[in-house]
This record gives sequence, C-alpha cells and structure tokens, in this order.
Amino acid sequence: MSILGIKRTPLAWLNLTHDRRKFATSMAGVGFAVLLMFLFTGFKNALYDSQVQVINRLNADIVIINRLKNNMFVPEPFARRRLYQARAFDGVAATYPLYISDVRWKNPVTQQTRPVRVLAFNLADPVLPLPGVQANLAALKLPNTALIDTRARPEVGPRKAGVVTELADRQVRIVGTISLGTDFASGNGNLIMSDQNFLRYFADRGPEEDERSFATADIGLIKVEPGADVDRLVQQLSEFLPNDVKVMRRSGPGNSFEAQERDYWRESTNIAFVFSLLTVMSFFVGIILVYQILYTDVADHWSEYATLKAMGYSNRFLLGVVIQEAVILSVLGFIPGMLISRLLYTGASNAIGLVFLMTPERIVNLYLATFAMCLISGAIAVRKVQSTDPAEVFG
Amino acid sequence: MAASPASSATETSPDNSAAPAVQIRHLNYFFGTGELRKQVLFDINLDLPRGQIVIMTGPSGSGKTTLLTLIGALRTVHAGSLQVLGQELMGLSSRKLVGVRRNIGFIFQAHNLFESLTAAQNVEMAVELQPQFHAKRTQATEILGQLGLDNRVDYKPESLSGGQKQRVAIARALVNQPPLILADEPTAALDKKSGRDVVTLMQKLAKEDNRTILMVTHDNRILDVADRIINLVDGYIESDETLDTFNTTHDPKNLDQQMFIL
Ligand SMILES: Nc1ncnc2c1ncn2[C@@H]1O[C@H](COP(=O)(O)OP(=O)(O)OP(=O)(O)O)[C@@H](O)[C@H]1O
Ligand SMILES: [Mg+2]
Repeated sequence: MSILGIKRTPLAWLNLTHDRRKFATSMAGVGFAVLLMFLFTGFKNALYDSQVQVINRLNADIVIINRLKNNMFVPEPFARRRLYQARAFDGVAATYPLYISDVRWKNPVTQQTRPVRVLAFNLADPVLPLPGVQANLAALKLPNTALIDTRARPEVGPRKAGVVTELADRQVRIVGTISLGTDFASGNGNLIMSDQNFLRYFADRGPEEDERSFATADIGLIKVEPGADVDRLVQQLSEFLPNDVKVMRRSGPGNSFEAQERDYWRESTNIAFVFSLLTVMSFFVGIILVYQILYTDVADHWSEYATLKAMGYSNRFLLGVVIQEAVILSVLGFIPGMLISRLLYTGASNAIGLVFLMTPERIVNLYLATFAMCLISGAIAVRKVQSTDPAEVFG
Repeated sequence: MAASPASSATETSPDNSAAPAVQIRHLNYFFGTGELRKQVLFDINLDLPRGQIVIMTGPSGSGKTTLLTLIGALRTVHAGSLQVLGQELMGLSSRKLVGVRRNIGFIFQAHNLFESLTAAQNVEMAVELQPQFHAKRTQATEILGQLGLDNRVDYKPESLSGGQKQRVAIARALVNQPPLILADEPTAALDKKSGRDVVTLMQKLAKEDNRTILMVTHDNRILDVADRIINLVDGYIESDETLDTFNTTHDPKNLDQQMFIL
C-alpha cells in the first residue's frame, strides 16, 4: 500500500472551520484588516497615480522641459527651438510641443468661476491618443472650441458636448468629451483644444498674465525611431542642448518625468506619509485580530493540545498547526477583503476622479503583508501553545 | 497492524522488553522553589512487572497524579531513579521525553477529544505518530469496533454519550498497542454501568497482549480488576498488596477481628 495517498488529519483546517459562525467571523476579521490596508494604500497610490496619469498618456518616449519645471504645477515654458534642435538628432522620429495653461472657467449653471487646466497641441500631431480626441478632430479645428473631461470635478457643471460658457472671459463651446481624471495640478479638470485656439485664449490676456505664443512650449514630446537606444539619446540630447532645458525619459524609474513628478509629491506633501502610517496601523490592527482568533483557538482546545503533547507530539508539530491556521486565515481573509476593496476603488474613482489602481504587483504586495500579519500573530499565539504543560491535563 | 514503535528510527525510544515496565528507586519530588518548595513524593520505591494491572488509591492530595505524570514522562525527575520500559528518565532531555511518551497510552479523567474531529480521526491522530500510518483508518475502525463503537466511527464527540467519548479516548490510547497504559480516574465522569464497562474493556485488552496498566481510582467498585493495589498517603507508599490481602486488611469485619485479637 502506498503512503503517498494517505495524508495526515488536517487538524488546522478542521479546528478552524469546525464552528462555522466563528470561522465566518474570523474571515471577516482578517478581511476587514485587508480592506483597511487596501483603502489606505489605495489613497496613497491614488495621490501619485493621479499626478502622473496625464504624463503616462502622452505619446512620447522622451520629454524636454524647462530646467525650472520640477513638477506639472509650475508654469515654466521652454524655448520651442530646442525641440527643433532635438529633431535633427539621429534616432528622433518626431517632436511635438504641448501647451498648458491654467485658466478660469465659468460653470454655466451656477455662474461661478473655477480654475481648470487647458492642454493644447497641433491637431496634426498624435500628442494625446485618446478616443475622444480622434473622434472630434474636425470640430476642434473650429474657433473657440474645446473638449471637456467627463471625469472633471462636478463643480465645473455639466460635463458634456454642447455646453457653451466662458473660458478666460471669452466664449467657449464644448464639442466633445474625453476621459482623463483630475489631479492636484489640474484644478477642477482638464480641457483639450487645438494650438490655434490656445493662442486665441492666451496670446493676449491683459497685463497681469503671461503672454503665450508658439515661441515657447510647456512640454516637448520626442518620439524615437523603432529600436533606438532611449537612454543614450537622452544622454546625447542633455549634453548637446543648452542648460535651460532638462531632457529625460517620459516614464519609468530613475531619471524620468514621471519619477520626478512622483518624487515631487512624495517630498512636498505629508499626505502620503499619513496614508502610509494608516496602512501600517491597519497592519497592526490585523495582527491583533488574528492573534485573538488564534489565541482563542488555542485556549479553547487547551487540554486537547496538551493531550497531543502527552501522546508524544512535539512542540514543533503544534507550532505547525497554529502556523497552518494562520496561513489559511491569510488566504481566506484576503480574497473577500480584496474583492470588496475592488468595489470601493471603483466607487471612489467615480466619485472623486482620482485613479485607484489595483495592479497585480500591489495585490501581491498586500497579500504578502497579510501573510506576514498572520504569521506574526501565529508566532505570538504559538508561544502560548509551547508553554502548554502536558502534565496539566491530568489534574 | 502498525509497525512496532520499537522498530522505528524516529525519536521514539526503544522498548527494552526484558526490563520491567516501571522501576522506581528513591524517587523524591518537589513543587515550587525557595520558601514555597514543597515535597509531595517521599522516597518512592516501586516495580511494575509486565502484564500487571495495578490500581493506585489514596486520599486527595497524596501525590497520585504527580507520580503518574512522572512515570508518563510529562514531568522531569529531580532526584532518584525512574526507569520506564528500560529507559532511565532521570536527566533525560525534554526532546527524548517526547519519544518516551509515544510508548505510553494515556487515559484522562476528561476525554480531551477534538470536537472538530470524528471518533476515527481522533484515534487516527495517535496512529499518525507512527512512522508508517497508511493503515490508520483500518486500525482506528478496528479498535473502535473492539470497544463497541462500530456504528459511531464517523460521529463527532458532540453526538456521543459520555461513556462513548471515554471509550474513544481509550481507543486512542490503545491503538498503538503501547506496552504501558496510565489512567487517572478514567471512570470519574461516567455513570456506574459505563464505568464498569470501560474498565472491563481495558482489562480484557490488557490481558490479551500482556500490557501493564497503572490506574488511579477512587472507585471501590472496580478494584476487582486489579492484580495489585497500592495505597499512597501524604507522598509515601503506605501499602502495596495483592487484591486479596487488600480486601482482607481493608474489610471492616476483618479490621474488627484484628483489633479484637490484639
Ligand atoms: N503544579 C503544582 N504546583 C504546586 N503544587 C502542586 C501542583 N500540582 C499538585 N500540587 C500539590 O501536590 C500535592 C499532590 O498533588 P496530586 O495532584 O498529585 O494529588 P492527587 O493524589 O492526585 O490528588 P487527587 O486525588 O485530588 O487527584 C497536592 O498537595 C497538590 O496541592
Ligand atoms: Mg489526582
């Protein structure tokens, strides 16, 4: 007869699931801790992810910006001829300027003005490959037209085509919509228009405002030839171009526009720290909850565990049982916790326009945290089992 | 049935079957330290040969349970010599003590069964201590059958009566055929009839396989299963006699006669 087919009695599983009500409560407890961790890390990540969502949509491998522009918030344009200079480089396929300006928008319903951000570019350039842009190219060529973000804050009023209102004290007609989302630098939302319309609104805005022209751009986008070495090109461009501009990858770790933006928000605000702290606190709440569950199991089965010891089971075996219970709890609590968090992410994202992303990497990381949480609780509860005196069962 | 524990290469210590089941010399035992130090066992000397059923009686607090847990390798021996199945327990590491326990069947006053496991699974937990346990289910059902629980094998403890639960506990203690069985008031929680049945079963199984049983009990009705009765008083072995002499010396009539003669 084969030993392989015969398994040990799954004591951990049976002890944990014997009392269905208690088992459900235990799972809910772990799931709650998981939910808290997902929510707090969700807010923390939303802060960063939202700040870089426009950057990540830009159709570019490399960007050129003013050396002084250390985040999307700062209105520091650079000389557009730098972009022409870059275009001459081997490996550069195309360059596109992007114009950005913050401006007053009048809510057509309440007549209140709100700051919004305008993104503008030559409609012939594939700067923002969004479906809403492609669909409305013809309409955008008309004077005084723009697209509005359906995920802009509700304070701007109706976010749909056909709205007519004032932008920078000048009439504007919304001819279509895009879906982009808000961030801290975009005021109440984003508008998109052609570079020609951009000039209409911003070339001459009165004495106290900066005049805009095609001589400067806010972000220079560079597309490289297929197979070109992006890092080397960044290096060469940085050396060649004067010091008034910065050249970097658009995204990715290290020296990139996206990383600069993330770093800026990490260093200049405490919000992320607060959410990290709340996440760590949820982790400890989880440890306490799981410890309670495991400890109760040990306490309830005190004499049974002691009997196992008296029969000749080693401490190691009992540790194994408690650790197995911890691992089972981590898996079974994580799944509902994650699913509910998913729903809340979607809800929050729709309500406030920030990005709540649940990437596989973040799921794995939070599972590992949950696993560690259960293991630590298990390790504490185990000390209780170890101290079980097998002589106590006689008595 | 299962491979003999003696043949295993694990932590289980070998049963030197030539030696007596238990041999105790000048055993003293203390609880507490410093000023609270209190001696509960005094110069115990005792031999339990193989195959004997021994009942230990004595007033409450006289040290019976303490002695039983010492023999069962559940406490460490401080002073004297205590050999169990040929193995000296004095000075043995706690890891080795775990091995000794695997050759001993324990029966407690409380059944201590896992509520989450069926009768068979509770018994199988004991079989799984053996290096080979592929026949655990057969072994468990077989011994439960011998204890009259054929149709209760897959019941959880909550649906068993007190006597049935205690019989499952006995099955768990006996399934590995341990050469030494230690029982502390195994019938205390049972009614008269179930108590009697349980003891008769233990006696039958022990006699068939030449096992040694040391049983603590206050229950006078079950004394007749014993080959020998030890009386422990205030930590001293006060008397150690066969059933017949015990009956004679403890029978009120005989006591009267003796006093009359004196
Ligand atoms: N863990 C302990 N710590 C300190 N003293 C103890 C401990 N266990 C038992 N004692 C004491 O040791 C003495 C012997 O106790 P033991 O339990 O061996 O008695 P017993 O003969 O089994 O009594 P009973 O018939 O009531 O079960 C008692 O005085 C008891 O108070
Ligand atoms: Mg006792």
